[in-house]
Amino acid sequence: MHRLMSARGCRAMMAGGALAASLLLAACGGGGSAGSGKGPDLGSGPAKAGTVKAGALKGTTLTFVSYGGIYQDGQTKAAITPFANESGAKILQDGPTDNAKVKAQVTAGNVTWDVIDTTNIFAAQQCGKLFLPLDTSIVDTSKIPDGHMTDKCSIPAMSYGMILVYNTKKYGANPPASWADFFDTQKFPGKRGLEGSAGEIDPGILEGALLADGVAPDSMYPIDVNRALKKLSTIRKDLVFWSTGAQSQQFLESGQVDMELLWSGRAYSAVKNGAPYKPIWDQWMPEADAIAVPKGAKNPKAAFALLNYYLGADQQAKLTELTSYSPVNVDAKPTLDDLAKSFLTTTPERQKDMFKVDNTWWANNHDAMVTAYTNWLNG
Amino acid sequence: MAVVEALTQATSPGVPAGRRAAPSERWGRLALLAPSIVLLLGVFLVPLGIMLWRAFTDPHPGLDNLTWYVGDRVQRQVLFRTFTTAFKVTVVCLLLGYPYAYAMVAAGPKLRAALTLLVLVPFWTSLMVRSFAWVILLQDRGPVQHLLTALGLGHPQLIRTNLGVIIGMSQILLPFLVMPLYAVMSTIDRRLILASSSLGAHPLTSFVRVWLPLSLPGVGAGSLMVFISSLGFYVTPALLGSPRDSLISQQLYTQVNVLLQWGRGGAMGAVLLVVTFAILAVLMLSIRQSARRHTKASEATSIEATSIEATSIEGAAR
Repeated sequence: MHRLMSARGCRAMMAGGALAASLLLAACGGGGSAGSGKGPDLGSGPAKAGTVKAGALKGTTLTFVSYGGIYQDGQTKAAITPFANESGAKILQDGPTDNAKVKAQVTAGNVTWDVIDTTNIFAAQQCGKLFLPLDTSIVDTSKIPDGHMTDKCSIPAMSYGMILVYNTKKYGANPPASWADFFDTQKFPGKRGLEGSAGEIDPGILEGALLADGVAPDSMYPIDVNRALKKLSTIRKDLVFWSTGAQSQQFLESGQVDMELLWSGRAYSAVKNGAPYKPIWDQWMPEADAIAVPKGAKNPKAAFALLNYYLGADQQAKLTELTSYSPVNVDAKPTLDDLAKSFLTTTPERQKDMFKVDNTWWANNHDAMVTAYTNWLNG
Repeated sequence: MAVVEALTQATSPGVPAGRRAAPSERWGRLALLAPSIVLLLGVFLVPLGIMLWRAFTDPHPGLDNLTWYVGDRVQRQVLFRTFTTAFKVTVVCLLLGYPYAYAMVAAGPKLRAALTLLVLVPFWTSLMVRSFAWVILLQDRGPVQHLLTALGLGHPQLIRTNLGVIIGMSQILLPFLVMPLYAVMSTIDRRLILASSSLGAHPLTSFVRVWLPLSLPGVGAGSLMVFISSLGFYVTPALLGSPRDSLISQQLYTQVNVLLQWGRGGAMGAVLLVVTFAILAVLMLSIRQSARRHTKASEATSIEATSIEATSIEGAAR
């Protein structure tokens, strides 16, 4: 169905290409069409996720920036190339995302990145500073799953989580089942993997420590960082730190750790490759990348049109099939095997189990947490 | 081999000290240097200036960034660790590189070609690839640990320790020490050794009083290259070390790329630069002093050696 439609859209675009271009020229030369001001004519009526007016962006060039690898390839195949084909826009690719470069471009007034995949915390932190508020007349956010919008400037790029996994061979019939068990080295001896690279802290590490220490989920924020780090210190000699996703996966595949807190996509890849680990879904920590448009982008409307297209159900289903991240459109129906399905984070069951991370609090306190965690790591 | 030749030329003293070039010759040399001077100005000195400017103005004018850096206990620890790590790496490289360079000089042409290739092939391999190779070698239950266990040395932790970082960095930086050392050693007149032994010197005495002083310029140039390169290493410590013993480059990354605190990053860079210059100045002064003492104390052979030593170490420092 989807393929058929996009093929038709493609032909329509080719047929209407010349027409659209002349319309565009007329719109630009006419000195301000009614309502939308300057910029491309994206059609009338409310925006619908996953669509773009055929040929509307002929002659426009956008640069899409993401983190490279399988992820950016998947985004390109699922959404970027189809968008280029339908809208007529030319899309350049760059990466990996570097927040310092975003700041440099915006402050110098020379913005060459138009659509940026970054962390949801950074997007929320810089909303209105480095990033433009979403134009909701162009971006349809109605199909995004609950709890995935972190701020007014970005859309989620996909969904995943920080999850605990344990070695099924090591713990056998009586496996760990909670955050408390992760911190109980008496009952569950063994090495534990944890994210720990200079300057990085994902939401979830401190929350997990506090949950294990008996803090009730609804009185988690503001986080008592000293108490969390003190709890982490109790298992310090059993901790092994990973600094890249690849490393966290390698820890599992080489059996270097018996339990690990890592990104769900990496856990899935390790298990798919035969590593004997199983996730603990109770109070897992949801995370997401975000996609935003920087201030000073040459053609923000065209950029928002790409965001809107990216959120389509078919695009999200395809992205999930290609990357193992979970879709951020409630109507997305990816075709997956059972193992991949079991690692999806947006199913109703997972939504029920997850711990509700307060991303707004994190956006306001991220820098202090990074400093505290980095100092603890070096201590 | 062409690389070796080039390095030899670069590190051996070309123009004898004391000879002054004619004015036209001087202008000619300046013209030859102009492209590199312009390049250095544009892509090194100007950004360096901007960085220093930021250190004292971003976000507010004043010494905030500097007082933060000097006042932060963890940052001071990391700075100290960076210098001690660089020092240890230099010592390891020297211990491995000196005999190796000597073997290269002493070997016949075929063996020398093989030895040179052994140094250069890793040198031409990507730093990233070599660091990852070390990850595999040093990891828990990896080949190196297995070997040590088989030798009855237990299960020493190698990866994610400062030791692992030093092992990896030493291997990566070894060519920077071997090549200048080889270049200098290959210019030493080996008949001097014969002369000293014919005058009754024990081989050890010949080495300590003749060979070692003559090879010191190479030791100086190579050690400085290794030491200074070590200070800025990012990838290898990030992969082989643990965040517990991070080096200054990782902390700089945090400030600049994660926290977007460019002023603080500038202050860290400035302190690193000043401390490095201070260490180099002390080193050069002490070398010059000992050279002077040496010149006064000893006769004939060592005079030329020490003057070469002083000039080439100064050259490398610049």
